[in-house]
Amino acid sequence: MKDKLMPYVLLAPQILLTLLFMIGLVTGITQSLGVIPAFGLKKPTLLYYKEVLSRPDMMRSVLYSLRIALFSSVLATAGGVFFCGVCVMGKKTQVAVMRIIQLPIIVPHVVTALFIINIFSRNGILARAAYALGMIQEQQQFPMLIYDPHGIGIIMAYLWKEIPFIIYFVIALMANINGSLGEAATNLGAKTWTVFWRVTLPLCRNTIISGFLIIFVFALGAYELPLLLGATVPKALPVLAYQEYIHPDLRNRPYAMALNGIIIAISLISSLLYFLMMRKSVKCLTEEQ
Amino acid sequence: MKKRISAALLAVAIAFSMTACGNNERPKEENKTASVTEEMSFETMKEEAKGTTVTFYGWGGDEKLNEWLDNTFAPAMKETYDITMERVPMDIDQVLSQLSGEIQAGEKNGSIDMIWINGENFRSAKENNMLYGPFVDKLPNFQDYVDAKSKDVTLDFAYPIEGFEAPYGKAQIVMIADTAVTPDMPKSAEDFKEFVRKYPGKVTYPALPDFTGSAFVRNIIYEICGYEQFLDMKGDKETVKAAVEPAMAYLRELNPYLWNEGKTFPDSSTTLDNMFSDGEVVLNMTYDAYGTAVKIADGAYTQTTQSFQFEKGTIGNTNFMAIAANSGNKAGAMVAINEMLSPEIQADRYDTLKVIPVLDNSKLSKEQKASFDGVDLGKGTIPQEELLSKRLPEMPAELVPIIEEIWTEEVAGK
Amino acid sequence: MKNKRKSIFISITQFVLLAAILVPAVTLLLWIFTERWTWPDLAPQVFSKRAIFEIAGRKKELLQILWSSILISTVVAVLSAVIGIMTARAILLYRFPGKQVVYFFTILPFMVPATVFAMGIQITFIKMGLNNRITGVIIAHLICSLPYAIRLIMDGTAAVGSRLEEQARVLGASPFKAFYKTSLPMLMPVILSAVSMSYIVSFSQYFLTLMIGGGNVKTFTILMVPYLQSGNRNIACIYSTLFLGVTLLVFGVFEWAAGRFMKHGGGEFYTSE
Repeated sequence: MKDKLMPYVLLAPQILLTLLFMIGLVTGITQSLGVIPAFGLKKPTLLYYKEVLSRPDMMRSVLYSLRIALFSSVLATAGGVFFCGVCVMGKKTQVAVMRIIQLPIIVPHVVTALFIINIFSRNGILARAAYALGMIQEQQQFPMLIYDPHGIGIIMAYLWKEIPFIIYFVIALMANINGSLGEAATNLGAKTWTVFWRVTLPLCRNTIISGFLIIFVFALGAYELPLLLGATVPKALPVLAYQEYIHPDLRNRPYAMALNGIIIAISLISSLLYFLMMRKSVKCLTEEQ
Repeated sequence: MKKRISAALLAVAIAFSMTACGNNERPKEENKTASVTEEMSFETMKEEAKGTTVTFYGWGGDEKLNEWLDNTFAPAMKETYDITMERVPMDIDQVLSQLSGEIQAGEKNGSIDMIWINGENFRSAKENNMLYGPFVDKLPNFQDYVDAKSKDVTLDFAYPIEGFEAPYGKAQIVMIADTAVTPDMPKSAEDFKEFVRKYPGKVTYPALPDFTGSAFVRNIIYEICGYEQFLDMKGDKETVKAAVEPAMAYLRELNPYLWNEGKTFPDSSTTLDNMFSDGEVVLNMTYDAYGTAVKIADGAYTQTTQSFQFEKGTIGNTNFMAIAANSGNKAGAMVAINEMLSPEIQADRYDTLKVIPVLDNSKLSKEQKASFDGVDLGKGTIPQEELLSKRLPEMPAELVPIIEEIWTEEVAGK
Repeated sequence: MKNKRKSIFISITQFVLLAAILVPAVTLLLWIFTERWTWPDLAPQVFSKRAIFEIAGRKKELLQILWSSILISTVVAVLSAVIGIMTARAILLYRFPGKQVVYFFTILPFMVPATVFAMGIQITFIKMGLNNRITGVIIAHLICSLPYAIRLIMDGTAAVGSRLEEQARVLGASPFKAFYKTSLPMLMPVILSAVSMSYIVSFSQYFLTLMIGGGNVKTFTILMVPYLQSGNRNIACIYSTLFLGVTLLVFGVFEWAAGRFMKHGGGEFYTSE
């Protein structure tokens, strides 16, 4: 009996917070349906979604955002896991190294944009170095690495921030596993890489996928970096939402919320996939008990 | 073991004490006077507002302005009226979000008192009944020193103010260039095109809907299409589009010669400002007509930097202070706004921050006038008289977002 | 021989990573003092201490805000970790109906842009009287940081398993003591990650803090972000540097505390074995 109640006792604070979150989410979604009583908007309608979806720049923006999110998350995850592996295999990673790796996680996105501009813009350190070395004569000859329509600058900024995030997200667990299980396997004569590949990595799979998803969804929904480092056309989805949001006519808010609704929909589809992937692993452990 | 338990207890204690702190913040608000009745005289308001706190919400990205508000204006308010000023740095869209949320939830004793606002935001806030007023005629300084009939005070982007805002400062578009780099300064749209061709890749303007970029485009529209027709134009996209088409064609012609061939525009005027001081572009533009002098003094601009206008004039507007409809301290907010309109404070703002004052010169006493005239505007600026003589009115607020939309569709990346 | 090559490879990789992180960070320090740096010079032309002086003028206010921000975020981080442990244990170690649904909801906040949630929750918080209060801000931050804590701790709990804990139970320890003496020390590294991650999520929260705190609850981020957006680079850089320094310091304190705990708490079990 006691055991039956236990999980609910443990979950009580979680459920309370989840409820609050859901209330917020539902209120947000009703706003996207055009229900904001304070502005005299009362009737729910799908009109805003329809209008937003039929915008001429909509498809391009969706694809642009998806591409940025996908590139950033795949590359950051791959890079992060790789460095994690290197660090773990190097046995002792100095505390100072970890401290430095933490740095980008703490740096606000706006500041990351500043870094990228400082270094990669046509006025940045690289362009100046190229000029000093006589490789270019004019600023315009330096390749357009940021503000470009492919989003290279945005992806670079995300990589700078998110590779360390993956390392940080995964390394504690990985070191734990590699330390205990890995050592056992190595003692049994397995090669370090094989151990990492066969034992450590599969055990970290869930965490790695979680990290990937967090980055993907974040890059899909955040407006700061695309706004500061992106091209004027095409605009990323969250930038469109942001600009509708700061639109001075408050009755435009539902458009912003509808755009956000589309972002949430894409995120939810990806998280559903994630959930299906994770389902197996959540079950496994329970069956063991 | 014991140590750890006590540590845990301590953590819980901290959490609780902080909650308690949070609760303590409540009574302060309840102290505020709940409402101001129509008949209340200014003297009563001063009495009512004694010992209260007034919050002032507005953009917080200007360190000099923040400094002035915190270290000059706030102490003056404390000393004269025993009112504590609390500046809350927040963009206007967020201020309106918060305000609409509070009003929607039925909060009567709102946290927002004074708001720094103008243009389309004002129109939208007023139309949605989010502002308190009319209140300006209750302010003695407004009656004594402000020309209540001037268009700068009765209209905000051609939208009637009807006493819901008091003027705070005047702004006017100017362009900035370094005479050592570009000795020739464009005086008209035609000149400007020549200028852009002469310095390919070195000129641009902020992408709309940036505030300054948007004003610059409107200024170009005035240059090419004249401004009179817009002052009473209806906010209908087709009409506006037909009217501004020649200007859009002109802007499209500029694109190939602009920075990054007009494929990308800087995201904001602050980015353009940085690009100008880095030498990446040769032309800058700003609403802050006298900001150039400050930047030269700081060393961000060279000594040879100069601000200039088009011959036909540039767009000017006024920014205002309003009071939230559900403000918990309307009396205090009115006392503060009144103080902001006093000749001493306006002269100090002019001197320290180089903000164009909003008072009527003919209503000032000799000494007061002298305190304004004595201000040294610094290097690289246009004399106030000349600047204001070439001041064009803003378009109706509702046209602004329509033009921004048209620009995005017709000019960006074309 | 082979080992040597491997260690060189590891060193080089680490070096590249660290350089990529540190070089931009150095430009941060440089920009604090830079007033003008025009093309094509490789070094700034005009330096000034303006930004430093402006910051120094706000010393008192800054210290006060920093202190309260750190307290808020620390409370959020600790609560996140505690609730995270509870939720992770409930999901992983017990059988109950609706488990999958609960799990799905724990990660849902990842999927929703903060602005949507903030604007929605604001009205609810006002109705509940939680707006403009530190309590409200802490609860709102908690909702955002909890998914991170849960993910990290769940993975850790899954890796550690419950075998040792069960043994301790068999030997007669109470459930809490069994957890406290066996699993908790082993979970400590993961908990430390969770605490740090929750801390940074809370400490850097801007929009949500504004909406819920209504300008009444001031945090360092609320003070800093307008400068970051204003394009005033030296002021932006000095605030960022302060932000980074303080956060690293707090992380250091967390690590020190965790280390102490592991030494005293973690050791006991193994030594008594």
